[in-house]
Amino acid sequence: MLLQLNNIFKWVNSGGQRIFLLKDINLEVEEGEFISVMGPSGSGKSTLLNVIGMLDNFDEGEYNFLHESVHTLKEKHRANLYKEYIGFVFQSYHLLDDLTVKENLEMPLLYKKFKGSERKAMVADMLDRFNIVGKKDLFPAQLSGGQQQLVGVARALIANPKLILADEPTGNLNSQQSEEIMGLFRKLNEEDGVTIIQVTHSEQNAAYGSRVINLLDGRQV
Amino acid sequence: MFSINIVGLGIGIASCLVITLYVIDELSYDKYNKKADEIVNVVFRAKINGEEIKEGAVMAPVGETLKQEFPEVLDATRIRSIGMPKVTVENQSYRDNKFAFVDANFFNVFTLPIIEGNPRSALQEPNTAVITKAESEKFFGVGDAIGKSFFLEGQEQPFRVTGIIEEVPQNSHFHFDIFASIEGLDEAKSTSWFGGDFFTYLLLKKGSNYKDLESKLAHLPEKYMGPMMQEAMGVSFDDFTKENKLGFRVFPLTDIHLYSDNSPYSQLEQGGDIKYVYIFSAIALFMLLIACINFMNLSTATAAKRAKEVGIRKVLGSNKNQLLYQFLSESFIATLIAMLFAAILVIVSLPYYNELSGKELQLDFLWEPFVVLALLLLTFFISLLAGGYPAFFLSSFKPITALKNKFIGGNNNKGVRSGLVVFQFVVSAGLILATLVVNQQMQYIQNKDIGYEREQLLVLRDAYLLGNDRDVLKNELLKNPKVTSITNSASIPAGSTDNYMSQVYVDGEFSRRMPVYNIDENYIQTMGMELVAGRNFSKQFGTDSTNVIINQTAAKVLGFGNDAIGKIVTDGGGDHKVVGVVKDFHFKSLHQSIDPLFLFYRPFGGLIIKANSADMSGLIADANTLWNGFGSDETFGYTLLDDSYRQTYVAEQKMGTVLNVFALLTILVACLGLFGLVTFTAEQRFKEIGIRKVLGSSVTEIMTMLSKDFLKLIFISFFIAFPLGYYLMKKWLESFAYRIEMQWWLFVLAALATLLIALGTIGWKSFKAATMNPIKALKDE
Ligand SMILES: Nc1ncnc2c1ncn2[C@@H]1O[C@H](COP(=O)(O)OP(=O)(O)OP(=O)(O)O)[C@@H](O)[C@H]1O
Ligand SMILES: [Mg+2]
Repeated sequence: MLLQLNNIFKWVNSGGQRIFLLKDINLEVEEGEFISVMGPSGSGKSTLLNVIGMLDNFDEGEYNFLHESVHTLKEKHRANLYKEYIGFVFQSYHLLDDLTVKENLEMPLLYKKFKGSERKAMVADMLDRFNIVGKKDLFPAQLSGGQQQLVGVARALIANPKLILADEPTGNLNSQQSEEIMGLFRKLNEEDGVTIIQVTHSEQNAAYGSRVINLLDGRQV
Repeated sequence: MFSINIVGLGIGIASCLVITLYVIDELSYDKYNKKADEIVNVVFRAKINGEEIKEGAVMAPVGETLKQEFPEVLDATRIRSIGMPKVTVENQSYRDNKFAFVDANFFNVFTLPIIEGNPRSALQEPNTAVITKAESEKFFGVGDAIGKSFFLEGQEQPFRVTGIIEEVPQNSHFHFDIFASIEGLDEAKSTSWFGGDFFTYLLLKKGSNYKDLESKLAHLPEKYMGPMMQEAMGVSFDDFTKENKLGFRVFPLTDIHLYSDNSPYSQLEQGGDIKYVYIFSAIALFMLLIACINFMNLSTATAAKRAKEVGIRKVLGSNKNQLLYQFLSESFIATLIAMLFAAILVIVSLPYYNELSGKELQLDFLWEPFVVLALLLLTFFISLLAGGYPAFFLSSFKPITALKNKFIGGNNNKGVRSGLVVFQFVVSAGLILATLVVNQQMQYIQNKDIGYEREQLLVLRDAYLLGNDRDVLKNELLKNPKVTSITNSASIPAGSTDNYMSQVYVDGEFSRRMPVYNIDENYIQTMGMELVAGRNFSKQFGTDSTNVIINQTAAKVLGFGNDAIGKIVTDGGGDHKVVGVVKDFHFKSLHQSIDPLFLFYRPFGGLIIKANSADMSGLIADANTLWNGFGSDETFGYTLLDDSYRQTYVAEQKMGTVLNVFALLTILVACLGLFGLVTFTAEQRFKEIGIRKVLGSSVTEIMTMLSKDFLKLIFISFFIAFPLGYYLMKKWLESFAYRIEMQWWLFVLAALATLLIALGTIGWKSFKAATMNPIKALKDE
């Protein structure tokens, strides 16, 4: 088992009232799964993804990731955990504007203390795999949305994470570009065994996955 | 951030204004005189047997002679200061009045209008005096003082008040309370060109150049001193001037305060120093520059963030001029607020500043129309520069670029911004270095072995006024267990002292002038001085009154080497045998090197008492009680030698304090600027920080990323600041004959201090940025 959420609650206090963002979430994810999270806007999908990604805290419940109890870990350990095992893909790509495609890909490796030669090889490998060798010296602004998201996925994958978290990865893309990214996800999932959890509004995209989790007002339905 | 900006600018401008007040005050000395530009001071300069002589006072006939010889000299007037003698008014005696004899035309030359009495005849007769209004009220109470009289110690005839003037302005190079007629003073009638103590001022014809006059004075020494020289020293003028130089120089009145030599021989009062005027002007300028630069920098930086707002406004139909107007007026209002803040700061802090610096700066100057105008212009100028860039740049770009948020404002003028950061830290690091050097030199002065022990010495300089009771006092005090020893002498190595010079001959040949100490047999021991050869004076040797003890420098200067004992030297008082050599001790400030010195066995003057514990209050009280027991109308007064010593360096001490304060303020302003820039950078890179964190960057890595560039700039600034600071501080130190060497660790310390301050400023902000929750930055829009 890759991760397990038990009775997760998350709330914010506003005007003396407790507003629940997540209510009693229970989730088990096996390695190699491809899960889609769905639900109306504001239902807590991004919140759930951030909790799984350890970018955000929760207020109650237990979260086990591999053999670690995330809820008992210190901030720094948690950061090390997600740094090692999780890759993130965002709706608006979040590439760094001042860096070239190559440099954007290299960045996560810098924080993981890979050697210069290793980094070069890994970046070259990724560029190759995603067919963007010709774009390696361009800046994000010089790429189309689809190409940018391709770089985004490549960056998430470069350090060989066990889990990819993608929050509406195709939200800014047209249907052709979307299909390309989804195809890529399926390939990664099936051929490389990468676990994927994606948030999506589209049934079509959700169909690429093996399981759908529906949220409504922070609750699983 | 907006308010940091305004606070920084406000502090900068306020500091600049305060320093400007100081500079203007320093430059205004003696300008209250209507004829200030036509008045000059004649001074004497010589180099005799290697001794530099710089005297502000000249011989009695100099002024009148110049008036006779040169048509451009319209008038000449003299001051003969006698310090603060005892003055008695109807059985009440005072010893706190600055007393000078002046020529009758004094009040025609200097603009000190006589408000009561007859200005024409006020000082014509002997034993008349013009006194200040405050003095008149102190002596005679309110009411008409004209015609009333007072006594000067040692004179039978009373002085009659014939005129009253207002207080001498604060920015004058002299501040006498009593101006007595020089008519009754015999030495003023002397025709000798061989000595005299008259500060002499000439009134020149309007438009004549004092340099021209000075060049015409070259022949004076030969013409007037030549004949007397033959007579007194048996040397012809020509022979004498082969090795030696002497001559007169002319100083404009308005230069006296800042340019005259800082020694008691050269000036009537301790003056200022043009060096400090330059130093502080530079600081003021830097301060203003840094504050303005930061203000513009931050305004520009924040404006970049408003690119989107501008885009939206433009889409909504706002035109270019409206935007221009908006930016400029916002900037103007911000600058104006900063100005008002500065004005309030100046008003509030000026009294503290005055206390610190010992100045009496007035605010009046700030309300002068041209100053108000200058400040307004400055406001416009700053607001134009600060608001101009965003106004013209932002309002002219295409709205779509702004809305796409692709505007990378700030990055395109990164070079300029780096230059400005470097400039600020050059100034800051330089100032830190300067304060360290000044403080270390002051420390050095405090701790230097000055050849005697200045602690626990109580000086009763006035004890001679008790007459025979002085010895009674001395014997009584000697019984006091708090007393270790007592000496009877008027020669004191720090503070007010009797000054004598003696013309010294060896083997019939004139050697040089030497200061003379008149001491008793207890002096050397009481002062903690050390004999390096020979013996002390003693009552057992009947002939000690013609013997002399010399200091090591005298032994060297007179060519006695290591066997001075038994050598014969001659002065006006005859032949003297050297019986002892005392280890060199400092009897002038450390600005000057030690002069040769003669010590004669002539006990007179006041008492100097060595106490046996550091707490002197008990001893002072005992001495006071004894003193009062004599029923004398002399009031008890004392000084502590240690205090007097410190007083010698009060100008440097104050300069040091003021420098500390302004260095601190400059650094504060620079830090505010740095803080603003880091804030701006962190905001600009907010999203990037979020992304990097999600991709695994640690807090330290983010902090390093944010600080690295600044730290690089700070390091660069060291390479400019330290050579520059080294050079300038070396110059400053050179004004001390005894000074520290600037050690490498001073620079390391300055660098560390600067880094620490900068890191503190950057650190907190970048820590906050680095520890923020990345999802805040990554919200998809
Ligand atoms: N820090 C917060 N404080 C208060 N409310 C919050 C906070 N973060 C999220 N919310 C609220 O929690 C709810 C869930 O937000 P979330 O972003 O998870 O929704 P979502 O399902 O991802 O919606 P969308 O499909 O629009 O992205 C929303 O109503 C949002 O306003
Ligand atoms: Mg969402």
